[in-house]
Amino acid sequence: MNNITIVVAEASFLIQEGLNNILKKLGDNQVIQKMDKGEGLFESLGTLKPNMLILNPDLFDGNADLIKQECGKLKNSKLVLISNAKDIDKKYSADAFIHYYDGQAKILECLETLKSDLLKTQKKEKSDEPISAREKNILKHIALGLTNKEIADTLFISIHTVVTHRKNITQKLGIKSVSGLTVYAILNNLIAMDEVK
Amino acid sequence: MRITKDMKMADVIQMNYMLIPVIYRFGINLGFGDKTVTEICGGAEVDLNFFLQMVNTYHDKDYFPKEELQSIPSKDIVAYLKMTHSSYLNEKLSEIEVLIEELQHAEFEDEKYILLIRNFFEGYKNELTEHIMHEEELVFPYVLAVEEICEARSISDRNRKLYESFSIAEYQEGHDDVEEKLMDLKTIMIKYLTPPLNKNLYHKIIQLLFMLEQDLNYHSRIEDKVLVPKMIAMEKIITELN
Repeated sequence: MNNITIVVAEASFLIQEGLNNILKKLGDNQVIQKMDKGEGLFESLGTLKPNMLILNPDLFDGNADLIKQECGKLKNSKLVLISNAKDIDKKYSADAFIHYYDGQAKILECLETLKSDLLKTQKKEKSDEPISAREKNILKHIALGLTNKEIADTLFISIHTVVTHRKNITQKLGIKSVSGLTVYAILNNLIAMDEVK
Repeated sequence: MRITKDMKMADVIQMNYMLIPVIYRFGINLGFGDKTVTEICGGAEVDLNFFLQMVNTYHDKDYFPKEELQSIPSKDIVAYLKMTHSSYLNEKLSEIEVLIEELQHAEFEDEKYILLIRNFFEGYKNELTEHIMHEEELVFPYVLAVEEICEARSISDRNRKLYESFSIAEYQEGHDDVEEKLMDLKTIMIKYLTPPLNKNLYHKIIQLLFMLEQDLNYHSRIEDKVLVPKMIAMEKIITELN
């Protein structure tokens, strides 16, 4: 599945296509945005929230401070810099560096490491486990049409806890909408069909 | 492979059958013989450039017309999108609905589960309809007004009202949510529901849901990649105008 979302910012079409090819081999990822100029890149990252940003610093004329400042805002994403310069790892800080003359094996290896790191963090969000008894209880209340606040009040827990549970339920089941969750709850006899408003 | 004006229309469809409904929305019917894309478009009075941009955007998700895009009038794009909308409302949705109803009548033991699916689909249908209405009543008039302002280089009272009522950034924000329910429906049918006795019908419904989702994705790609960038550029021009 396309678990890892990637934004590529690179001016050279040939390098972009080369990267594309390697990313296809890497698998489990999806390039959600490609850019060939720096303009608008950092503004769009806030909404795109990619797991990985592959960037050529030349797009910003090698402005290390700007890149450092903007990429520092990216939480939970990996930054990969592509460059022709030998001492790139001294000039910038990033999770990985790709040099123009790196071979395929080396680039793949470097990206594999980042990918497994990312997948580990995603795993921590427990995507494959069955939902717990506690979560079933929350799910039942969601299906009954209660709001987060109402669920929190009924179960004497904080809204924040309810939100966290909801997030986990959605991730485990792969169902996002309330009506979808309701159908699941009925199918699994958490609530009866005539209880639904 | 890029679709070009000299290709045979029949080859285009052989290459990607998902384009059948697309060309139909342009008013082009099957049975092309050996005619090329240019010849077919000429015969159907379809703007060749526009046609090529559209089918290529549908066909190749990495295709992104940039310069060509500026030359296509928004009103043509809007007219096309409206055709797509009406095909969803009048054909695709009811096609699936009819099959679900059929399933409901064919079953006795699990009828209540089918009812769940049916209600869920109804909910989705309403949501999509609402979304489409929103686009047709608010977004498209806005798009047309913006284009008119840009062409005339001045703002009429009517257009000013439309222009100030909305911005394309607002549109981008709400654009992802519609597909959520459709994905949930597929997940439920694939992962959680015990299939009913009439498996053929059940499988057919799932396949249609996949095709609808794919078509919707293509459709929103046109909106996001062609219409939105165009609007952003035009909004900029208007801001400078003021």
